[in-house]
Amino acid sequence: MSQQEKRLTTIALALAVISLLLGGYALVVLQSLSSSVSDLQATVSQLKTSIDQLTARVSKLEGAAAAPPPASPVKLVVIGPWAGKEADYFQAVINAYKKTHPNVEIEYRTMRAEDVAAVMPVQFAAGIAPGDVIFGWAWWIVKMGKEGHIVDVSGLINENDYIPGIVDQVKDGNKIYGVPFTMWLKPGFWYRKSFFQKYGLSEPKSYDEFVSLLEKIKGIPGVKNPIATGDGVGWPMSDVTEHFLIAYGGPQLQLDLISGKVRFTDPRVRDIFANKLVPLISKRYFSEPIEWTTAVTKWWAGEYGIYFMGTWITGMVDDPKDLDFFPLPEARGVVGGADYAFVPKYSRNPDAALDFLKFLATEGQVVHASVPSGKIPTWKKASVEALWPPMQSVYRKIAGKGMSILPDLDDSVGGDWQKLFWDQLKLLWVNPGALDSVLKTLEASQPRP
Amino acid sequence: MRGLEFLVFLLLPLAVLGVWVVYPILATVVLSFTTSSGFSLGSHIAVVTERSPLKALIYPEPGPYPPWGALIHNALWIAIGLPLVVFLGVVLAYLLREAYGSGAVRSVIFLGMVLPGVVSGLTIRFMFDADIGIFPKLFSLLGIQELAKTWTIYPQTALLALILGSVWLWLGFSVTIFSAGLDAIPKSTIEAAIIDGASPVQIFFKVILPQLKPVTLVVTLMTIMWILKIFDIVYVATGGGPGGSSTVLALIMYTYFASALEYHKAAAVATILALLTLIPAGLYIKSVLAGEK
Repeated sequence: MSQQEKRLTTIALALAVISLLLGGYALVVLQSLSSSVSDLQATVSQLKTSIDQLTARVSKLEGAAAAPPPASPVKLVVIGPWAGKEADYFQAVINAYKKTHPNVEIEYRTMRAEDVAAVMPVQFAAGIAPGDVIFGWAWWIVKMGKEGHIVDVSGLINENDYIPGIVDQVKDGNKIYGVPFTMWLKPGFWYRKSFFQKYGLSEPKSYDEFVSLLEKIKGIPGVKNPIATGDGVGWPMSDVTEHFLIAYGGPQLQLDLISGKVRFTDPRVRDIFANKLVPLISKRYFSEPIEWTTAVTKWWAGEYGIYFMGTWITGMVDDPKDLDFFPLPEARGVVGGADYAFVPKYSRNPDAALDFLKFLATEGQVVHASVPSGKIPTWKKASVEALWPPMQSVYRKIAGKGMSILPDLDDSVGGDWQKLFWDQLKLLWVNPGALDSVLKTLEASQPRP
Repeated sequence: MRGLEFLVFLLLPLAVLGVWVVYPILATVVLSFTTSSGFSLGSHIAVVTERSPLKALIYPEPGPYPPWGALIHNALWIAIGLPLVVFLGVVLAYLLREAYGSGAVRSVIFLGMVLPGVVSGLTIRFMFDADIGIFPKLFSLLGIQELAKTWTIYPQTALLALILGSVWLWLGFSVTIFSAGLDAIPKSTIEAAIIDGASPVQIFFKVILPQLKPVTLVVTLMTIMWILKIFDIVYVATGGGPGGSSTVLALIMYTYFASALEYHKAAAVATILALLTLIPAGLYIKSVLAGEK
């Protein structure tokens, strides 16, 4: 190495060290700057919240009139869980809004609640939001609201106009972080009327009759299993499990499991699993878990006799008139829940977003329930006659049996436990002998009251 | 003037590396060893002693089949997947060297490499599905009914399905590297062996394989690093289940980060993962430097 090369190498090394030191210093400065900016943002955000609250109070005093349509063109990005046909039904709501708000352009993007919960906390922490109106899980909305990322909408809707308890899911003290949209129900086992007629089957009136029905379906040529088991992320199995818990433990058991007062290792819970659900899995009355939308097609084609699913199934089959359902005969409650929407504090058009949010919580529900979305409104001012006809009969059947509407167990508990619940049920379905281990695992992670 | 060029030449890449590579790594390590009250080993202890099947690094109550914990699953993945990738890579590269239509076969093998992770995960699910999957159909034809089912929904077979699927995905890399290695072998050594009367098997084992040693080392180390980082196909195909029987380190890191929002624990898993990856990475760098010498 020549003298000059040596000198250059030394200079290069010295520069490298200096650059690293400078880089480090720059990072420290940037971090402190970013922390100052965050503090400033928090202060501004607090101020904005106070102004929002004041505005809300003033609106209440003035009769909470909806904001006038914006004079200049505004674009809103709405993020919701619906895709395919379901997205078309939601598009009907957007179209209805645009009729009265021609200056508002709305772009709808599909994102599952799981992904919203996974992706957005990081974006919120960075002070950005990918949408102006976003649908998500109620527990997650409250969590983000508490962390200061969501606009408090307590002045936007009147709680008394909604099905009791439905707004509570997105409340924290006096603050309301989201609005309820339409509601789904998970009312029972769906069947094709034509299938039942063809094979002389009828709805059961007791657990024993239910088992006899399954045995009869099992004997029908071409039927793989009497009950189709939906799979995917895992919720279809948790839905049918909850239905058994409500039917044989009563509605209060569901509420106590949610609050954690009753543990999963409680003898009452074990008894329901061991004597009602697991025997049916062991006897292969339930199919192996199949991707849930594929299961709809196979069940409709007659490979399975009945299928436990939510009311949205009414919009997924070829002929909803051929569709009927029955809950487990002893059930005195069914799970129902709403989709919830919120406005992040980082929305670029908060006023227009809040106006659309209010529409979703009120008239938008009527539009959504009038198309084959398989939903009913949570807004009490919507009339039953406005519902899509197949949903009118579902609604009347549930109401006729005097059933209470209960919150979804795993959606209410949420967090990691929800995933664990789904995963352990997948295990139980293929290995019913693991019951005690499954219950023990669920209990160990179950939140305490 | 030359000094200024040097400065510009070094400063820019160093700044980029510092901000986008060095800082995130250091910040992650620092995050893993801190809590709001200062230095703590709490996050590391918590992730190592976690008992929930979906997040356990070592499952405290192992049975005859998974769940055994993500660390064991990753180790098993290396133990089964690595030999298959190396063995099949060498054999296929050798057989496809001069075979008719080898380009098309290579393209099919290489397809796994270019597929996005999500698509690969779905493909694995389909490959092992009882109704349409090739593996269950094959075992059904062979009369082995225990394996003629959907592999990804049973704890006994879910991890194995992912491992076998990943072998297909990574085989393209292995075949490509071994093909390049084979091309680099001087023909004269093979011709000399033929003149000396060596059989094709002897030529393969005694002439070709020894000369592929540096390439094998590269494939081995890169494969280990790839396996340790595997996340997307597990997330899509099984989600780590059923019953936590197919969780891996990267998935647990993601669960802490994106689902539980426990950033310190996520950083702790990331640090453990990085430490494990550093071993093969160090050996790889050493082998590259040795090659340059």
